Amino acid sequence: MAYGTKEDVDQAVKAARAAFWEWRATPPLSRARYLFRLKDAFENNFEDIAKTLTREQGKVIDESRGEVRRMIENVEHATGVTTLMCGYTLEDIAKDIDCKGHRQPVGVFAAIAPYNFPAMVPWWFLPYAIVSGNTYVLKPSEQVPMTQTKIFEIVDSVGFPEGVVNMVHGSKEVVNAILDHPDIAGVSFVGSSPTAKYIYERCGATGKRVQALGGAKNIVAVMPDAKLDAAMPSLITSYYGCSGQRCLSGSILTPVGDVADALLEKFTVAAKSIQMGDGLDEKTSMGPVVSAAHKQRVLGYIEKGIAEGAKLILDGRNAKVTDLPNGFFVGPTIFDQVSPDMTIAREEIFGPVVSVVRCKNMNEVVELINSRGFANAACIYTSSGAAAREFKYRVKPSMIGVNIGIAAPMSFFPFGGAGQSMFGDTKGHGQEIFNFFTDTKVVIERWL
Amino acid sequence: MPLQNFGSILNFAEELESQDRQFYEAAAGNPACAAHQSLFSELAAEAGRSMQTVQRIRREYVTEMILEPIMDFTRAPFCEACEGAAVQGAAEVLAAARRLETRAERYYAEAAEKIKALTEVARALRTLGKTRKARLAKLATRE
Repeated sequence: MAYGTKEDVDQAVKAARAAFWEWRATPPLSRARYLFRLKDAFENNFEDIAKTLTREQGKVIDESRGEVRRMIENVEHATGVTTLMCGYTLEDIAKDIDCKGHRQPVGVFAAIAPYNFPAMVPWWFLPYAIVSGNTYVLKPSEQVPMTQTKIFEIVDSVGFPEGVVNMVHGSKEVVNAILDHPDIAGVSFVGSSPTAKYIYERCGATGKRVQALGGAKNIVAVMPDAKLDAAMPSLITSYYGCSGQRCLSGSILTPVGDVADALLEKFTVAAKSIQMGDGLDEKTSMGPVVSAAHKQRVLGYIEKGIAEGAKLILDGRNAKVTDLPNGFFVGPTIFDQVSPDMTIAREEIFGPVVSVVRCKNMNEVVELINSRGFANAACIYTSSGAAAREFKYRVKPSMIGVNIGIAAPMSFFPFGGAGQSMFGDTKGHGQEIFNFFTDTKVVIERWL
Repeated sequence: MPLQNFGSILNFAEELESQDRQFYEAAAGNPACAAHQSLFSELAAEAGRSMQTVQRIRREYVTEMILEPIMDFTRAPFCEACEGAAVQGAAEVLAAARRLETRAERYYAEAAEKIKALTEVARALRTLGKTRKARLAKLATRE
């Protein structure tokens, strides 16, 4: 895939600008009808998209299907524009004076997408932007360009007016061209925290709206009263689903009190049963990580864990898949006896590596979570409503799972964290996303 | 080959429906089965619709799938050879049809039990199983 250039970005923005006024004057319901057609087209090409995604990114086919499903759900949600984009009015704010708030589209928006969910993440933003009357430029991750290319072939088949939806492939040159372009009104980003901060600062410098979703160090606490057998499938999914390359993946596992040994015994047995391989093979339950470079990064963290004194109880470093000797596989890995100040308990690994930090009680759990800097998601397994309430009340992360290992908001709720996990104030999808893509124009009127 | 996750269970269901549709299409075109042509055509069309149902279930409920393998469930007990529908005599074809319906009914019942944590999926599979039971009743009246 050839990388685009600064000039390509400029050309895409020019096309988007040229399309804006006619598109924003198109009735919202008519704009939504494009999305209804798009939803049908996605459903008709569902398996094709999912298989492309697995071939390119490596995740197993069911995970790809799940991702495509979540992508389509955003299209479905955005079709509610005629309700979700409504403004508001109030008569008689003063004698004979009425006030109206119109929500108007802003102009050209752009998204810079990550490699871990190449199909879904751009669609946390794109359908809401265009259905609100804006036009769009998307830059997929340069590591996984094919999935969105396939998706845009389908977008093209729906027949959006020229310039409404645009895509530019590329790397840092394209990113900077987007961030600096004077005719882009806002940028949505998902990726690592250092990059999210960079995006946020650079967009601030050029006066853009920005929502930059960063990394995570998610903690899953397991209380002594948790139902371990019932919890195990979703716990395993939390840590090893998508080979740990999710911003909602569990990273630290925190047994509380005397549940630790029983939990670790069951968890280790379940982790060992995971079969790695080709994601298109039905027998496979975990695919490779995305690249050789990323594999080395994950292995580096495992080495660091050992060097800093954590106890390696399941070692995924030498994982091999017979038919795929050159695959970027890292096996399920578990460290016990991890202390909160170790590197593997502080930094985002983004791989199938679990760091077990034992806590004595809820206070220690809350302190551990709130001292990470990242504040994306946190989960608790418990049978106690009181414990669950205290947990969700006191911890800082914005996405909370109670007896759920992956606290993934669906399209009609906002997706995003706090602290170092989120730069900006409007999260992905949900109802609030319409605030990001519209300006509320207030009209105060009196008839004389 | 094991059926150990959401996708493989639904994929195998799709294979069953596809195989059955081909079987009934062949049977409907078999001159020896002329007396049952209408029924076989109907069953072939139903298998086609069921295949779409299976595909829809796989698309719509996949986000609820779990990673931990489903245990002790394999393809082998549900594999049935069904060649010859285009050339065999009516009695043989009817017998093969009953075997196919029986295995599908059994498959859907067992698959629904294996995947019962996903209630919508289990319900859909049970419904497909009931359809097979009704089809078997229709076939039972034929000689």
